[in-house]
Amino acid sequence: MSEYTVVGQTVARVDAVEKVTGAAQYGADIHPPGMLYGKIVRSKHAHANIRSIDTSEAEKLPGVRAIITQDDVPSGRRVFATDKVLYLGEPLAAVAATDPDIAEEAAERIKIDYEVLPVVQDVIEAIKPSAPRLHGDDTKDGPNRREISGQIRTLSRDKENDHSDEISKLEAELEAYPDEVYYNISAESHTEAGDVEKGFAASDVVVEDTYVIPRVHQTYMEPHVSVASADSSGKVTVWASTQGPFAIRSGIAGTLGIPLTQINVIGTTMGGGFGGRFGVIITHVPAVLLSQKTGRPVRVQMTREEEFTDGRPAPGCVIKLKTGATNDGQILAREALAFWDSGSVSGASIGSTIRVRGVYKIPNLKVDAYGVHTNKSGTAAYRAPGAPQAIFAGESQLDEIAERIGMDPVKFRLMNMREEGDAVPAGGSEPKVGYKETLEAVADAAGWWNREADENQGWGVAVGDWTNGCGPGGVYVSVHEDGSVRIFHGSMDITGTDTAISQIIAEILTVPYESVTIRRGDTDSAPYSTGSGGSVVTFTMGNTAKLAAEDAHRRILELASERLNTNVDDLELKDGAVHIISAEQPKSISLGELAAYSLSTTGGPIVGKGSFARQASTPALAAQIAKVEVDPGTGRTRVLKLVASQDVGFAINPMAVEGQIEGGTVQGYAWAMMEEMQYGEGGNINPGFVDYRVPTSADLPTVESVIVEVPAPNGPYGAKGVGEPPITPTLATMANAVKDAIGIRITELPIKPEKVVDALKSNGR
Amino acid sequence: MKSFEFYEPTTLAEASRLFAEEHAQLLAGGTDIIIGMKAYTETPETVISLQKIPGLAGITTDGDSISIGAMTKVREVELSGDIQQHHTALAEGASEIGSIQIRNLATIGGNIAHASPAADTVAGLLVADAQVDIASADGERSVPIDELFTGPGQTVLTPGEIITRFRLPKPASGSHYIKHKIREVMDLAFIGVAAAVNLDNGTITDARIGLAAVAPTPIRATAAEDLLKGNAPTPALLEQAGETAAAGCSPISDLRCSAEHRREMVDVLTRRTLQYALERARA
Ligand SMILES: Cc1cc2nc3c(=O)[nH]c(=O)nc-3n(C[C@H](O)[C@H](O)[C@H](O)COP(=O)(O)OP(=O)(O)OC[C@H]3O[C@@H](n4cnc5c(N)ncnc54)[C@H](O)[C@@H]3O)c2cc1C
Repeated sequence: MSEYTVVGQTVARVDAVEKVTGAAQYGADIHPPGMLYGKIVRSKHAHANIRSIDTSEAEKLPGVRAIITQDDVPSGRRVFATDKVLYLGEPLAAVAATDPDIAEEAAERIKIDYEVLPVVQDVIEAIKPSAPRLHGDDTKDGPNRREISGQIRTLSRDKENDHSDEISKLEAELEAYPDEVYYNISAESHTEAGDVEKGFAASDVVVEDTYVIPRVHQTYMEPHVSVASADSSGKVTVWASTQGPFAIRSGIAGTLGIPLTQINVIGTTMGGGFGGRFGVIITHVPAVLLSQKTGRPVRVQMTREEEFTDGRPAPGCVIKLKTGATNDGQILAREALAFWDSGSVSGASIGSTIRVRGVYKIPNLKVDAYGVHTNKSGTAAYRAPGAPQAIFAGESQLDEIAERIGMDPVKFRLMNMREEGDAVPAGGSEPKVGYKETLEAVADAAGWWNREADENQGWGVAVGDWTNGCGPGGVYVSVHEDGSVRIFHGSMDITGTDTAISQIIAEILTVPYESVTIRRGDTDSAPYSTGSGGSVVTFTMGNTAKLAAEDAHRRILELASERLNTNVDDLELKDGAVHIISAEQPKSISLGELAAYSLSTTGGPIVGKGSFARQASTPALAAQIAKVEVDPGTGRTRVLKLVASQDVGFAINPMAVEGQIEGGTVQGYAWAMMEEMQYGEGGNINPGFVDYRVPTSADLPTVESVIVEVPAPNGPYGAKGVGEPPITPTLATMANAVKDAIGIRITELPIKPEKVVDALKSNGR
Repeated sequence: MKSFEFYEPTTLAEASRLFAEEHAQLLAGGTDIIIGMKAYTETPETVISLQKIPGLAGITTDGDSISIGAMTKVREVELSGDIQQHHTALAEGASEIGSIQIRNLATIGGNIAHASPAADTVAGLLVADAQVDIASADGERSVPIDELFTGPGQTVLTPGEIITRFRLPKPASGSHYIKHKIREVMDLAFIGVAAAVNLDNGTITDARIGLAAVAPTPIRATAAEDLLKGNAPTPALLEQAGETAAAGCSPISDLRCSAEHRREMVDVLTRRTLQYALERARA
């Protein structure tokens, strides 16, 4: 029996009814009186100089109320492209009109004179001297030019390994790299521990390979949308579909030079985010500019096509990886060289390349990572940013080593996993994390130890680690005369975090979950709250909520002590009432009575305040096993079984946690098997759900989730972030299962039927 | 979407007269045309609904032959016992379209008239040797399905001509359809292959193979059909039929897959779909 009554239980989400009935107000449901429709005018080329922008024809269209370009940005901060565009769909201007069709037609009528330039879409092409330079500057210390510091030429390909033609070509190009300099580099990151050369020399088995992971979109259901209203006093209100209203407030203030307190951001119910819903420029800033110019509220809403051409998806990546191990299964060294496709601006999560380290003791490690400019939109976070890519490489290669040395992949991983007290490279020592427990749990649940496979069937395992972030937040809780509890805060709920906060407060105040209600304020009213990304919310706001409830708890006992004429130490809050502990004649007073009494006291009503910013987080592990069957004729892969375990610390709401595990695993499956943003000379060529495939429920069996609870010291009730970890291992899980089924290692995602057929063919099958 | 005039005529003659005007489009289930209008790839000035015209929907059986009205929902084609039994490939093709929601809107006439080389009912109609009945203000005519298409999105239909029904003559004894795709449902065909066979005493007396998305129009693999006719269905013969069908198509490479992959899949799936059709013929 759990010692808790509300946390640790599955309860209905606080927003279940409004979501199911359609009452929830999403961004596109906001329609203030007099609202105009905004439309962003976008580049029709992936790389071009802009000779001129002529808005005269569009201005003549009845119903057009404003057309803005970079000239209308008073701060001069870049919102629209002026003399050069770097990708298809890059914003050049924006229109506001009385009707969406008029806005669209006006956008079409704006004449843009382009001088089309050569395009580069591939990171390996982009680093070559022959590539078009996206950002001009080519001086020795300029932003585009980097001395090579990766060991590129000393990494020679392992010829025994199976490769697609594509990868072989790529590796040949990397090896034959003609220059001492990389071009179009946006950022770099280098890490070194121990001596990899020594580690490889001491290894019995060394495997190396090149892994290619495509750019994918977060594909949240609701496209970006904002409604802005600037009034005559200069006050700006923005209804924004965003993961971080406070970040949007400061972003708008910084970009447009508006005082912070003149901006109120109201977060609307969000149709998903996954890390992609933090951007400021994307729709919010154009909406504010258009509203300021017209004096009317303006809605700017992206279409699905605009999401694909000008969203901020997850970066694709090319990772060359080399691992050395001894015959008895000890990993000695690992070296990675990664090129991340950063698009037109910097920002790809290149630092995540370090995740090739995994949760293993690897004494010698070297990681060199570069962000590379290409003619694509910039990138942003997507559920554990950068980790799925790096872990795909790391965990794929572990299986290759396990195979060479003839060791079971699960045992090989268990043997190399870090343990509590081991030194960690960043300093300090490894905390207690359920690495082994989680892997063992998935192996047991999936039936790994006595697994069977028919012809063309295979099993794959992989693990992925991630640590939740942390950030500031504030919560108020008040108790009312009927005994009900009200919560007020400013953090956005995507995953059920309002439910978790409510559960925590109900637990501490010993009231039924149903008597708690939670309200989110806007940036004018609510205390500051960190953005809802990085798996922070339950960790941060859960801790904050605990503090607020404990504060209220203190006041409750104080009131009861006055009322019952008893020392606070002799009182106990239980089942929604304060009782005198061990009283001869039992005496108690309900929360409602205390709340009513509080209204006429000197100390005043019951209001608890919690505020919290930082505590060390604890890593989490996700471990997954898939069983697949590959049709060797058509190359189609069917998943027969998919089991996902995760160390969640403590599951405050088990069903919500399972939802996160299932959702993350399915997104990882999709990245492995079908999702891919495709690019041609002209830009993105699959900007819609016809040719950008996300799986449906028919593609997968039910994901079996297994919750493992090894408490995090600083988490509320031991909880740690659960949203991001489950996507991290799935790419490798799938590739490892396919390898087991057909005996061929696919290193370039997604594992489409054509790739499998070609791989089988080149292996003579 | 551009604004347009909307008509709901109650007679074919009226619909045909309106449809003969320039920049006119028909609305059947709307699952192709509305998408096109939203994307501005279709900008009709007049839209004429076929939904109020009586007699265009429904499946009727007359002896050995079956008639399917152009306005019949593909969901009805999928679930029809007669089609499932006698023209299995067509029922299977219908069941592959989009989702149940889409199939409850989409019509078989729209699927064919849209003339996508990847349409899922087309291979089944090809191997059923369907006749396409067409009406206009000038009267009626009928064309065999394999003469209907002239290119991607192109047919022999002239302004004002409306498909009224598909007539399927005496069925083959076994047929089957396979759609090559990535997703289980809601995916468009990378290629589609249907086969229909008649067996007599272990000999193939008739064979028809229909291919979708491997040429500018849906096609019959006639060389492969000829190879099969009059012979016993040995594995070697089926293999040869697959290779011959693959050699006879002219697929393109696009963002979905390469021409080479399409050609290989014609080979693999022709063999497979023949096998399934033969099993049904034997049953
Ligand atoms: C989400 C989604 C998924 C889909 N998936 C598939 C799929 O998997 N496979 C597939 O094959 N298709 C698919 N489609 C396409 C579409 O559903 C089918 O092609 C459908 O059968 C079209 O029929 P409709 O009645 O909706 O045609 P409409 O959109 O109403 O009309 C299509 C065209 O046909 C013409 N037309 C219609 N009826 C006649 C007639 N009687 N005579 C002459 N011309 C006529 C119209 O003028 C118009 O040009 C999908 C569509 C959607 C939206």
